[in-house]
Amino acid sequence: MWRAIKAMIMRDLTRMVRQRGRLVSAMVRPLIWLFVIGSGFDALLSAAGTPNYRQFLVPGLLCMVMLFGALLASLSMVYDKESGVMRMLIVAPFPRYVIILARTASATMVGLTQALMLMLILLPLGYLADTQNVGLLVVGLVCTALLCASIGTLIAVFSKALDDFAVVMNFFIFPMYFLSGALYPIGQLPDVLKALVLINPFSYGVDLMKHALAARASPPFGAEFALYHDLLVLVGFSALALSIACYRFSQAPVFETLARMLSHRKSH
Amino acid sequence: MPNALAIETRSLSKSYGCLLAVDALDLSVAQGSFFGLLGRNGSGKTTTLHMLSTLVRPSAGQAWVGGYEVVRQPVAVRRAIGVVFQESALDRTLTVVENLRFAAALAGLSPWIARQRGEELLKLFDLTEKRHAPVSTLSGGMRRALDIARGVLHRPPILFLDEPTIGLDVINRRQIWRFLHRLRTEEGSTLMLSTHYMDEVEGCDEVVFMKGGKTIGQGRPAALVSGVASFILEVETETPALFAQELTPRFGEPLAEEGRLQFRILDRDFALSHLPSHLKHITRGIHLRRADLNDVYLWLNRAGA
Repeated sequence: MWRAIKAMIMRDLTRMVRQRGRLVSAMVRPLIWLFVIGSGFDALLSAAGTPNYRQFLVPGLLCMVMLFGALLASLSMVYDKESGVMRMLIVAPFPRYVIILARTASATMVGLTQALMLMLILLPLGYLADTQNVGLLVVGLVCTALLCASIGTLIAVFSKALDDFAVVMNFFIFPMYFLSGALYPIGQLPDVLKALVLINPFSYGVDLMKHALAARASPPFGAEFALYHDLLVLVGFSALALSIACYRFSQAPVFETLARMLSHRKSH
Repeated sequence: MPNALAIETRSLSKSYGCLLAVDALDLSVAQGSFFGLLGRNGSGKTTTLHMLSTLVRPSAGQAWVGGYEVVRQPVAVRRAIGVVFQESALDRTLTVVENLRFAAALAGLSPWIARQRGEELLKLFDLTEKRHAPVSTLSGGMRRALDIARGVLHRPPILFLDEPTIGLDVINRRQIWRFLHRLRTEEGSTLMLSTHYMDEVEGCDEVVFMKGGKTIGQGRPAALVSGVASFILEVETETPALFAQELTPRFGEPLAEEGRLQFRILDRDFALSHLPSHLKHITRGIHLRRADLNDVYLWLNRAGA
């Protein structure tokens, strides 16, 4: 079974490397946030006496890259209708939840790869200069990427038609990103928004990254939750999401929908 | 379940909502045999194969594949089977060799064995020169051959083939069938095939005709054919009613379609000269041929209608 898991992950990563253009274009979005929107707000906030907004954005942007990268990766991979690979997987001699776990693992790696690429761009520009604990940074990256991949997997096993990426974008990715403390500190938010941020597991990934990358940031730009709190939510939520996804994927009706979908001849 | 059976089902049924896709199917497939499932689209063939390959859970009844029960021991069943789907189960973005390597790893084969068997299969299907080509650049026939190679790479004792040669030309079909027969004789594999090409099941040890999820006929092809007729008399005429009136008392009701009548003739010594001579003047064509499985299918369908 380990051989199979390794093969599944290697295959997904091979595909990722072959789609280099997609990886490169994934770098455009965070850089626009940083240098266009970030610069605009930096100027505004500096004038009001709160400098370093761009620096504040960095942990959130790394998380954003993982959110888009890992979540979309796990979402598209679980129901990989086009490729025919799912047909190979569903008759392979291992329990079905293994498919879910392997694909979540490779989606996590896709997210991590994108975050590392962004870090390679940010490092020479000095945006990572505040990093004090590399170990914590690694933990933050892995936990956040895993969380995003798990959420993608969970959405995938519960939705029937996943062709509509716009729906996932508008109902999951954008709200999770905007309501996370990635773009503004949580402390001053109105109560309703604050409540939404608190129930959003992604917020704790952003906060963990603030612990790792902005330990010396002056208020209100530092981390806002306790470190263990962040870790507990990230690991706990990922485990819960994956357990539900594995259970659901092994259930006959979900699987049959997939089997029927895969056996339908394409009309062209 | 008796040891000599590769596949056994008892009252196996599957319903989707109120649609009964497979209705109380009883099958016994001996080890090493070549078993054909025949029927039109929607007759329940694919659903049957899906239940046997653990993709779909039966609504009622039981099934054993390779000695394992499909609902309770799905992983053990999947270890014993290979499946070739109607649709390609290949990764179009990977190369030929990468696909085989991936399939081998999924089956848990060691890289060394995977390479060895992969080479054998590539050679057998004339794909050696294409080994590093992406699957998306292969022709339909090559892709199908690779798909079958993928399905048999781990040498499964039981192989399910769901309309494997659909859309292929005659040369490719022949090549694939030669290989499958070799697999049976050399490895003793059990083959279960669904198809609607009758000529592909003529070599079967046993066939089942399905309609509306039910078995409408089952047996050895030769026995099924001789059970339906020795000969089929085909008549093309502008006055089918006249013909039918004249010959029905002797041969039974014909199959009729657009000025063409088919009578089945059980008498093995029948010859055209036995027909009343005046009838020959009102035909456009009259033809006597041996009955085959197509006829079995047509007549069973009529009986079941």
